[in-house]
Amino acid sequence: MRISAQILFFFLLFAIFSNAAAQISPGELSKSHSFLEGVSNCTKCHDLGNKVTKEKCLDCHKEIKAGISSKKGYHSSNEVIAKDCFICHNDHHGLNFKMLKFEKTTFDHLKTGFELKGAHSKEDCKACNCSSCHKAAFIKDPELKKKNSTYLGLSRECLSCHEDFHKGKMSPNCLNCHGFDTFKKAEGFNHNTSKFPLLGKHKTVSCEKCHKPMVINGKSQPQWEGILFNNCTSCHKDVHEDKFGQNCKKCHSEESFHVKKDNGNFDHDKTDFKLLGKHQNLDCKKCHKKNLIDPIKSDHCSDCHIDFHKNEFSKNGILPDCDQCHDNSGFTETLYTIERHNTSEFRLEGAHIATPCILCHKKQEIWTFVNTGKACIDCHEDKHKGFIREKYYPKSECTKCHTVNSWRTINFDHSGTDFKLEGVHIGKSCTVCHFKNNETGLVIQKFEGLSKECAGCHKNIHGSQFDTNGKTDCLRCHEQTDWKKNIFNHNSARFKLEGAHAKVNCEKCHKVVVTENEKYIEYKNNQLLCSDCHRKS
Amino acid sequence: MTRTVHRIYLWIYTLAVIIALIGLGIYGYSYYRLPIEERFFHPDYANLKPSGFLGHGLGIIGSLLVTIGVFSYMIRKRMKAFSRVGLLKYWLEFHIFLCALGPVFILYHTSFKFGGIVSLSFWSLVAVVLSGVAGRFIYLQIPHSIEGRMLSLREVQEMKDDLVITFMDKYNIDLSELESGSSIQINAKLKELNLSSSELKNVKNLIKSQQKLIKRIERLEFMQNIFKYWHVAHLPFALIMLIVMIIHVVVVLVMGYKWIF
Repeated sequence: MRISAQILFFFLLFAIFSNAAAQISPGELSKSHSFLEGVSNCTKCHDLGNKVTKEKCLDCHKEIKAGISSKKGYHSSNEVIAKDCFICHNDHHGLNFKMLKFEKTTFDHLKTGFELKGAHSKEDCKACNCSSCHKAAFIKDPELKKKNSTYLGLSRECLSCHEDFHKGKMSPNCLNCHGFDTFKKAEGFNHNTSKFPLLGKHKTVSCEKCHKPMVINGKSQPQWEGILFNNCTSCHKDVHEDKFGQNCKKCHSEESFHVKKDNGNFDHDKTDFKLLGKHQNLDCKKCHKKNLIDPIKSDHCSDCHIDFHKNEFSKNGILPDCDQCHDNSGFTETLYTIERHNTSEFRLEGAHIATPCILCHKKQEIWTFVNTGKACIDCHEDKHKGFIREKYYPKSECTKCHTVNSWRTINFDHSGTDFKLEGVHIGKSCTVCHFKNNETGLVIQKFEGLSKECAGCHKNIHGSQFDTNGKTDCLRCHEQTDWKKNIFNHNSARFKLEGAHAKVNCEKCHKVVVTENEKYIEYKNNQLLCSDCHRKS
Repeated sequence: MTRTVHRIYLWIYTLAVIIALIGLGIYGYSYYRLPIEERFFHPDYANLKPSGFLGHGLGIIGSLLVTIGVFSYMIRKRMKAFSRVGLLKYWLEFHIFLCALGPVFILYHTSFKFGGIVSLSFWSLVAVVLSGVAGRFIYLQIPHSIEGRMLSLREVQEMKDDLVITFMDKYNIDLSELESGSSIQINAKLKELNLSSSELKNVKNLIKSQQKLIKRIERLEFMQNIFKYWHVAHLPFALIMLIVMIIHVVVVLVMGYKWIF
């Protein structure tokens, strides 16, 4: 029995030691380390008496060692540098054990020395994952490139992953100009360090406005170099067509083309609108309501001025401009001459020539020019209305009697009336007969109801001594041509003048009679007898 | 040591093993249940891994317990100088206790990862423990002296005869007549004696002891033969376990894993 036990015991011992070499390992190595299986390989990782040392690991993992030496990558971070490798990368946990396991979503990439910012971060770029960057195409090292999956070997240089958009035309350090959020906006670029500092509005202009697309190596991209900027007109259109020269800055600043520099040397006469007359003294704001540089229409006066005449001169919908009648010296003056007036429907003649415009064209509150009226009574008061029958001046047409030269010049044909003018009547002023003082002393006109008798106008100084049927016919003794010319023939009277009588003064025989009411020379004295005059002695 | 104190001891032994087994199981359940590949990422990995503070500690303490349990019992049993130090029975119980608690610790030290040379030690341990449990059962079948010495067939026969005489003197009953009777027959006979209840209980126990003795006598030789074979399994496995354990410890120390030292 004891022998049997011993046999069994030694058999087992043999079994143990014959297989011991492969049995010391505490567990199967993972795939990546599986080539190290076997007791002869233990010391390749294990330092006898000192567990597993970092140095042993780094002797194989030279790429990590290089990173740590150059203080680059996650393994050189403070979080990792002091740790033993096996703290994170353990082994002997089976063939399928993942030595490299970390939460991609929570891994702080900053610890690698390359913070995932902006578009690199997962929040901003949902489509991105680790393999978007950690792929062989971006790895330079040929050994690392061969690895199926590695997070090593990437450079922090932008161009190690990104295509050189500028095709070598710009600095390879993209971060000089671009941020992480978007490539299109060169947020970091300070244009002010360039030869063309961005001032005023240039700051907000999108790059493409100046950096026009150009084709480089078959790809369209903005032109970053060789852009002319000596003159504003290199980019901007000269809307003044070189009237003011090429130096826009004389009048404009970068703030806006619509704001003129207040430099006081702007020559308005170089514009399409010369400042003449009253325009010279106007405040700029009178015309340039907003910005001085805002283009304003200046082809017509009405572009600035309101139509004082309220469209009165519009013909067929076309309004003639003010300069037809006015110039820059002011609206009070007019270029509308008498000659031009005479080309109108109402010629200015006679006294109208000297008549101020206002008398006809501002009869009421406002000036009127077109519908002023051509009839006399449109302007003149018909003073004879009610006094002269219409048949003598139909429609109150003054020219039936008056001329345009003067009211006083009357060319009325009196012969058309019942009283033909003859003799001295012809030359008399109308007023002599037609204007009388009334009882109160006021002058009143009277054209109707005037007597055709001489006494209607003339005073009968002879009393009633010559009356025939109550009327005295002056023309029996007087002539209309010469009142004083006596056409009375004494010889046809009852007492012929003969002899010495022909030489006697009239007063000798015709004495002045004074009655209670009148005083007159008595011509019809009935002294026909000699004794009536001569004494009998 | 009184019977009560002995019982308390046994309970403490038993409870200590059960508490260790269940307590450590509960403590490390979330870790131990994981596949090997995933354990490294468990927060308790550093503590519960075989080389961790608790894991390594369990291995060291468990190994010491087993070593002490084995060698203390061997020394007491095999070296004459210690043959009078305590009853062998108590040493056996202490041996069983330590060699039950130790493997529990070692089980959790392995973190249920059974591979490599050291697994040979572990499985040997398992074999030793299982054989120990079986041996304990066989051991119970073989009557022992108070010192725990195995009794010969003759000694057992004498014990049986002494019991018959005692019975005859005390209750005037021929126990040998009852040996082969069924329990109904025995109960009927005992009724005729008009014994008090305490006496009846005592008599019944004696009858049971008598019957047990008779059965043991019947298979004593068989059990003694089995017990000899049992030693063939129990002892060599224990030696294998210890040798491989030493190799394991040496390898571990050479690699630099020194627990808290």
